[in-house]
Amino acid sequence: MAYFKLPAGVRDVLPDECERLDRAEEALRKKFKDAGFRFIRSAGLEYYDTYACIESKIEQSKMFKMTDKDGGLIVLRPDMSLACARIAATKLHEDHAKLCYFTQVYDFSASGNSDREVAQAGVEVFGEKGVDADAKIIAFAVECLQAAGLKKFIIDIGHVGFYKGLLEESGLSGEGAEEIRAYINAKDAVNTEIALKKYGANEKAQAAILALPSLFGGPQVLEEAEKLTDNDLARASLAHLQGVYRQLAKAGIAEYISFDLGTVKSLAYYSGMVFTGLAEGVGASVLSGGRYDGLCAQFGKDLPAVGFAVGLMRVLRALENKEGKLC
Amino acid sequence: MLNVALAKGRLAESCADIFIKCGIRAEILKEETRKLVLETPDGKFKFFFVKPSDVPTYVEYGIADIGVVGKDTLLEAGADLYEMLDLGFEKCKLCVAGFPDAKEKLGEGHLRVATKYVNTAKKLYFSRGEDVEIIKLNGSIELAPLTGLSDVIFDIVQSGGTLRANGLEVLEEVFDISARLIANKVSLKTKAAEILPLIGQMREYVGKS
Repeated sequence: MAYFKLPAGVRDVLPDECERLDRAEEALRKKFKDAGFRFIRSAGLEYYDTYACIESKIEQSKMFKMTDKDGGLIVLRPDMSLACARIAATKLHEDHAKLCYFTQVYDFSASGNSDREVAQAGVEVFGEKGVDADAKIIAFAVECLQAAGLKKFIIDIGHVGFYKGLLEESGLSGEGAEEIRAYINAKDAVNTEIALKKYGANEKAQAAILALPSLFGGPQVLEEAEKLTDNDLARASLAHLQGVYRQLAKAGIAEYISFDLGTVKSLAYYSGMVFTGLAEGVGASVLSGGRYDGLCAQFGKDLPAVGFAVGLMRVLRALENKEGKLC
Repeated sequence: MLNVALAKGRLAESCADIFIKCGIRAEILKEETRKLVLETPDGKFKFFFVKPSDVPTYVEYGIADIGVVGKDTLLEAGADLYEMLDLGFEKCKLCVAGFPDAKEKLGEGHLRVATKYVNTAKKLYFSRGEDVEIIKLNGSIELAPLTGLSDVIFDIVQSGGTLRANGLEVLEEVFDISARLIANKVSLKTKAAEILPLIGQMREYVGKS
């Protein structure tokens, strides 16, 4: 009965699990509403060009593509932050908006520990920037994971500005910078060093970039990183994170916070602070977000933006494992 | 407790030596056993024995927090994980090899490449803009050029003995390979207090040897 099977990377959610999923969704729905976010539902099908012809493009290999009646190429919703940025920039006509959603996003190339259909609950804040806004979104991420039922988790914070600053000093080409970024994200010091030599980065920047894979842990990481560079952008990024941390400590949630300057997400997409939520027993992040001030401008209206999405099925898995099923 | 994925065989034995020198009670790894899961007497470590190519999978899924595996396997798996340390043993090279006269064929026309590292070979030739036909084999790769199945092979070369015995030679060294310590992206942060001191000790040990 091959016709009754599902393609790879997708799944049905049956009543028992669906009830748990609904409970998590209800808790988050209340959180989102109480915090002043307004729900939207974006179109499930969009033009390929919307996501492929912007500067922060989604890779071709990641999108489910179909041909429309008129021959145009359309895709299954690949990314919700970009969809929200498009809506905020082209349809809301406001300088400030707080949007939230429950939706599926689709990743054609996902395999291994990642699904191709991902149920996300997310929030996006448009029109706010600075230390306050960033501290607020992290604090809200902590509240949301707590509301979903998680107890032991970490919000791991980085900043793409630190790596951008080091790049300014290094004299690296765009191609070299992108290759090295991938090595740093994998904490692969061996290849980072080989690539730095190959692309001929200057010496001081080399030492700092080579330190990136080990710059993770508590807030002392930010002080260590300060000693590595005189670059203005890099130092401003560290000062920003220190400011964010002070506010989170004041709010009494320092125990949930760690830093990783070696988490360098896509530079074309993210513009500042980036963060992931990590819970034991899942093996992959349960939450992912960051600041992307440049995205709205690509749709015609320049708005600062920050947001995150919770991976609902992974949260359920973390809750299940905690009950002692696996480890 | 830390869960560790190890490749069965020689790699596991080399790992046992390093672990013991780093103060882990890994003597159990040296005993003859058919068990697939072994726990240290102090209950601090649990070892899983898996096929080499499955080590990245166990670590990516977080079932194992850390693992030890060859760089060749990592390149081929392309798993989403942290590569923490070059352990410096099990050194070899991923090479293009073939008959001496195959060198003239490299980079021109239609090249047939036999390998068990299909993904790595695809990426390599794609990055060079060369169209090649990749032929997947599971063992005795050297037989392919001898029988005319392929023009060259893409495989790991340790001593080069098998190549020489069959009249083949290394045409190009592409990647340096050695054993790597890998970690799950979540475990490294959520179990930092257990993993980081271990990595520190292993780094010190590897630096000395």
